[in-house]
Amino acid sequence: MLRKLYGDMTRNAFAYRMLIPYVVFLALLVLYPIIANFVISLQADGLWTLKNYQQVFKEPVFAKVAFNTVIWTVGSVVLQLLVGFVLALLLNQDFRGRAFFRSIILVLPWATPDIVVGVAWQWMYNDMYGVLNDILFRLGIIDYYLPWLADQDLARLAVIIANTWKGFALSAMFYLAALQTVPHELYEASEVDGANVFQKFLNVTWPILRPFVVTTTMLTTIWTINYFPLIFTMTGGGPANATDTFVTYAYRTAFRFLDFNRSAAMSSFTFVLVFLISLLYLRALSRKEAER
Amino acid sequence: MRRKPYQTVLLYAAVIFATLVIAFPFVWLLITALKPYPEIYGFPINYIPREPTWEHFQYVFQLDFGTYFKNSVIVSGGAAILTVLVALLPAYATVKFDFLAKQPILISILICQMFPQIVFVIPFFMILSKLGLIDTYLGVIVSYLPFTTPIGVWLTRNFFAEVPVDIEEAAMIDGCSRFQTFRRIALPIALPGIAAVGIYAFLFSWSELMFSRSYLSTMSLQTIPVFLSLFVGQYQTRWGPLFAGSVVASIPPIIVFGFLQKYFIRGLTSGSVKG
Repeated sequence: MLRKLYGDMTRNAFAYRMLIPYVVFLALLVLYPIIANFVISLQADGLWTLKNYQQVFKEPVFAKVAFNTVIWTVGSVVLQLLVGFVLALLLNQDFRGRAFFRSIILVLPWATPDIVVGVAWQWMYNDMYGVLNDILFRLGIIDYYLPWLADQDLARLAVIIANTWKGFALSAMFYLAALQTVPHELYEASEVDGANVFQKFLNVTWPILRPFVVTTTMLTTIWTINYFPLIFTMTGGGPANATDTFVTYAYRTAFRFLDFNRSAAMSSFTFVLVFLISLLYLRALSRKEAER
Repeated sequence: MRRKPYQTVLLYAAVIFATLVIAFPFVWLLITALKPYPEIYGFPINYIPREPTWEHFQYVFQLDFGTYFKNSVIVSGGAAILTVLVALLPAYATVKFDFLAKQPILISILICQMFPQIVFVIPFFMILSKLGLIDTYLGVIVSYLPFTTPIGVWLTRNFFAEVPVDIEEAAMIDGCSRFQTFRRIALPIALPGIAAVGIYAFLFSWSELMFSRSYLSTMSLQTIPVFLSLFVGQYQTRWGPLFAGSVVASIPPIIVFGFLQKYFIRGLTSGSVKG
């Protein structure tokens, strides 16, 4: 084994030399901090212990934070994928001015800095002066102004909507790229066969899109679980921890309550969770590849 | 495929509606930033400012916004340059050579996508404190690399893959060394990809909040997101300057991304097409 590696290293010496900076980077800036975080999470008062993990799981709000994280992730991912999908289908049509509309739809939300997104939506959700209540009231959808960020369920919905606005562009880009690989002749052929819009979608578009849907779902799920600044700006995890996720909670544990060990336990737990979810997706992806 | 007239009308209606809804939050931010206070807190809401004003923009620049802007440029530019430097070589090596370490490197890129920033925030805090880099530009820049480099390698690979092997072989027959071939032939062709990587790192750093807020405690070193987030906490009711600052903070990324979205989308998505 070692001999094989040595032979490979002499044959491809140039390639291995090119890897040196990256390997140094991986060791110092990725591996070392992750191991350090586990070590910190397993220590208290200078001793090795599981106390931090026990405390995290016994915490009264832990169940609530776990629930929030699930709602936040599932809600955001489903909405982002749906909105991204519909917009990709729309932008894939041929029409005059497409480049213009595409740059607004795909660039504006995605390029706006996270904190600015938080500020803008926080202001739109304002219960007294917010534009959202005004519009909904004028349209007759609500009879009185809603306290968007003060009510627990509404606040959960509010951060998910804001996150959808911020994040749908990425899945739209993936879908758009996928749609552009669908050969035109296939559509024409199915049209000759008398297929309607839905049949065309089901038989031509969907088979090509499917692997993209899995990849995009995986990336969006991971990024949503890990996403921090929007909730931090809009609600700070409130009201009454209703929008706290593992990540915002771990952050506050570290920098407001200055309990680094417990925060490290929380974040290591999050890391393992994300890792397991990714493995599930990767297995689904390789199964589908095998089917084809 | 020809559309019937009513289909065209429907299509435009859908596209224009979607664009208006999507642009609205940002447009509303801009409109509010241009309103004087009585109108910001006006009832009923004015959808068009009656007496537009620049006072909030002037005020936010009196609060040293220029300094925060400069800090953001330094941190984001630094992160962009370092990311490109670290990402270039492994990207090239894993595209052009078939060797034992190739697969592990590619898997490492994938795994790095999963790391929550929160896992790094405490270890980096301790490491940077020990090295005396905690409250410095360099410390923050370095802390961004684990999040910008892996995607950087991925993006650059797709562009290196488009460099024709024939040209490189011809260059080597003409006496170029392996490294000269990389520098003179492959690098110029892959330049749009390198730009895309730099832009990704720039945009990431421009809006990053968790690390910058935790590590940069000196006001004169803080970046725009830190300033805005502290502003949200301190002056909850001073919406005007907050909006003005937010609008100014959004201009660079929107311009940069608007111009280069083509390369960026190509780099990001071509890898998943090829598998």
